[in-house]
Amino acid sequence: MRQDHAGHRAPLFKGAEQPSIDRADIVIVGNGIAGLTAAIQARSFEPDARIAIISDQNHPTINTPALKQFAVGKLTREQLLAYPPGTERQERIHLIHARVEKINAQSKSVILANGSAFGYGALLVATGSTPTALPSQLPGRDFDGVLTLHRLQDYLDLRRRLSEVEEAVVIGGGAHACETVMGLLHWGIHVHWLIRSAVLLPRMLDETASEMVLERIRQAGVTVYTSTEVIGIVGRVGSVIGVVTNHQQFIPCQLVVACTGTKPVTTLAKHCDLPLKHENGILVDDHLRSSVRDIYVAGDVAALKNPLTGQYEPRAQWYAAVEQGRMAGAMITGHREAVRPFGVPWHATHLGDLSMLYVGNPLQSPSGAYVLTDTSRGGYRRLLLQGERLIGYLSLGPMQPDSLAIKRIIDEELPVRDILKGLLKGEFDARQYLTRRRTYTAQDLVTSGRLASVKPPTVQTAAQTTPEPAPATRSLAPAAEAAQLEPRLPTTEQLPPLSTGPVLAPQRAPVAAPAGNAGPRYPIVHEEEEISPFTGTLPALPEQGQGRGQPGTRLNSGSLPSRPEQERGGRRNLWAYSDPALPAFPRQSPAQRQQVRAYNEQREGGR
Amino acid sequence: MRNPVLLHKTASQVQQELEACIGCNECLLACPALDEPLTIDVLNRETFGGPISAPVARFARSCYQCGACVPPCPVGLHRDAMMMWLKIRLYRSGEED
Ligand SMILES: Cc1cc2nc3c(=O)[nH]c(=O)nc-3n(C[C@H](O)[C@H](O)[C@H](O)COP(=O)(O)OP(=O)(O)OC[C@H]3O[C@@H](n4cnc5c(N)ncnc54)[C@H](O)[C@@H]3O)c2cc1C
Ligand code: SF4
Ligand code: SF4
Repeated sequence: MRQDHAGHRAPLFKGAEQPSIDRADIVIVGNGIAGLTAAIQARSFEPDARIAIISDQNHPTINTPALKQFAVGKLTREQLLAYPPGTERQERIHLIHARVEKINAQSKSVILANGSAFGYGALLVATGSTPTALPSQLPGRDFDGVLTLHRLQDYLDLRRRLSEVEEAVVIGGGAHACETVMGLLHWGIHVHWLIRSAVLLPRMLDETASEMVLERIRQAGVTVYTSTEVIGIVGRVGSVIGVVTNHQQFIPCQLVVACTGTKPVTTLAKHCDLPLKHENGILVDDHLRSSVRDIYVAGDVAALKNPLTGQYEPRAQWYAAVEQGRMAGAMITGHREAVRPFGVPWHATHLGDLSMLYVGNPLQSPSGAYVLTDTSRGGYRRLLLQGERLIGYLSLGPMQPDSLAIKRIIDEELPVRDILKGLLKGEFDARQYLTRRRTYTAQDLVTSGRLASVKPPTVQTAAQTTPEPAPATRSLAPAAEAAQLEPRLPTTEQLPPLSTGPVLAPQRAPVAAPAGNAGPRYPIVHEEEEISPFTGTLPALPEQGQGRGQPGTRLNSGSLPSRPEQERGGRRNLWAYSDPALPAFPRQSPAQRQQVRAYNEQREGGR
Repeated sequence: MRNPVLLHKTASQVQQELEACIGCNECLLACPALDEPLTIDVLNRETFGGPISAPVARFARSCYQCGACVPPCPVGLHRDAMMMWLKIRLYRSGEED
């Protein structure tokens, strides 16, 4: 919203109004997934608004988590893209390659590194996070061969080095450390894994789960050191040759990877002329509004209140960043009806060869709650229940359960009495449970061969959505007993009439995604040359026909003529990097090769 | 044969799955039916709406809902269900023509 001198709020978007090139209605700092998602979402609501992303990243938005697959050569760089090449241009999002130095919230502008000002109607800070470096007093932390892995460049650097590495030290006790260990192991490198605490991922795993993961990783050939810290890095002629631990042990290595966590990039909050509240991240309310009017925050840099602890903390995960991007896009354009609550924390990933799912707060112990655990089927599950409600779910095992369905069960406070045993034993088909009330169309589709009655997957408005009725419950046995009940595995049979039993918890109708215009729009398709704004530095495509832009160049992508789909070429020449993907030739001893092969076979077999 | 009902997910569920997809490509690596290069960015964007390009359409047609793409997904998503949506969209677009 723009304010006139009297303080009246004038509409932010006026179709006819053409803002000057040094301002935009919506300015987004950062082209990570949160920033780009917000821009696309905002565009879907406001076809005429001027939207600009200013970022110092020199490549398009990528699927950052897939960098792990890139590290082991399963993906090429082109396969890392989060959106098809040219999406920004299609969506008429201006890309400006520059670093933002500060925010002048009073004059509603940001100051770029070259000193120029760029005005905004609404500002979204989506500056992400940065790896926490090793302690500044740690001897040897600057030797060549000491790395952090966070950005694409870091992974390119890693892949260049791999051929010279026989032994590596990984420092850190989180999922990122675990994934890094597995990646290095893949190349036949002997890995020493140093974890400061006694358990892995202390905020997400309990002791049993942690030990399960560590044991399998040890079996795969990794040397794991728990309760161990590095007190110094030893080098020769500037390169790493080993580390010394707090147990006075010297571990020889040619590579040290510090995976000691990330921290939100809050520099802009520090350099804002109005108080933009920040601690561990920039503080936002549950609609991503910061303490300064018209400044929103999304992604890794946003600190949201944890309803359980009351503390503000970032939810530095991919899905959270996407969800927040969507919400920010809706909020900035005033489409609050499209806002979906975030629900409980959720994280699903691989830890070694095991799948980990963390939903809600399985490690907390609020009053009246109780824990059920199970170790059947080669896995481990920990359920935290309060009365008839599931409030936390942790699972570890060879297979990932339907992770989002379990989140839905917790978010929507669905009663779990009938499915408790399945959940506990890891045999629960959550998908079936959640969809069986809606399967009649699909059944019709398959049995009658008539597809026509199936609606295409349009996104519904809140108004269109019929809230799913809460499942009927019969008599309510005390929850603790429920664990011993016979498993009532969901079947495809029809549910008994829905109104027969008491509804356990008031069902929060899921606020469905917004209507047609709210989902990402998929407009015109352009020729490859036109849609490739990333052949140089990020914003480098100036107006058609002109040369490559310089960093800081402003670019008006404007609207472009459409081309029929068939004409679209398959080329993806969008990367600025001239060096080809590096084949890494790890040196493996025969014993190591054997070990890796055996491990991989076991892993394949386990699937 | 798998129970066909299991292949079905609601629109909001499919959209949620697409948003949670980290683009790691594991599902496509495991797929026995994909016989030409296809990237996740394109597949995801075309799954839920907009025009369906020829390679995505070919893939959607050749997907035989075997479910091999599900176990490798680190996030616990259901590419088979997403492909089902694509199949339905394809069918409908053919019907409209
Ligand atoms: C290696 C790795 C693996 C991961 N694996 C997983 C996983 O398996 N599952 C999962 O859920 N999550 C994972 N994550 C976390 C997930 O990737 C992040 O939560 C998500 O990418 C955050 O997106 P974002 O848009 O908030 O920030 P970022 O992607 O960090 O983007 C921030 C952008 O802002 C730009 N920027 C910052 N400051 C400025 C400035 N002053 N001026 C201009 N531009 C600026 C940066 O250049 C960057 O482009 C992983 C992260 C990493 C690094
Ligand atoms: S269900 Fe379809 S997409 Fe998945 S592996 Fe089978 S054929 Fe491939
Ligand atoms: S395996 Fe899962 S997360 Fe990875 S690309 Fe496929 S659906 Fe997305």
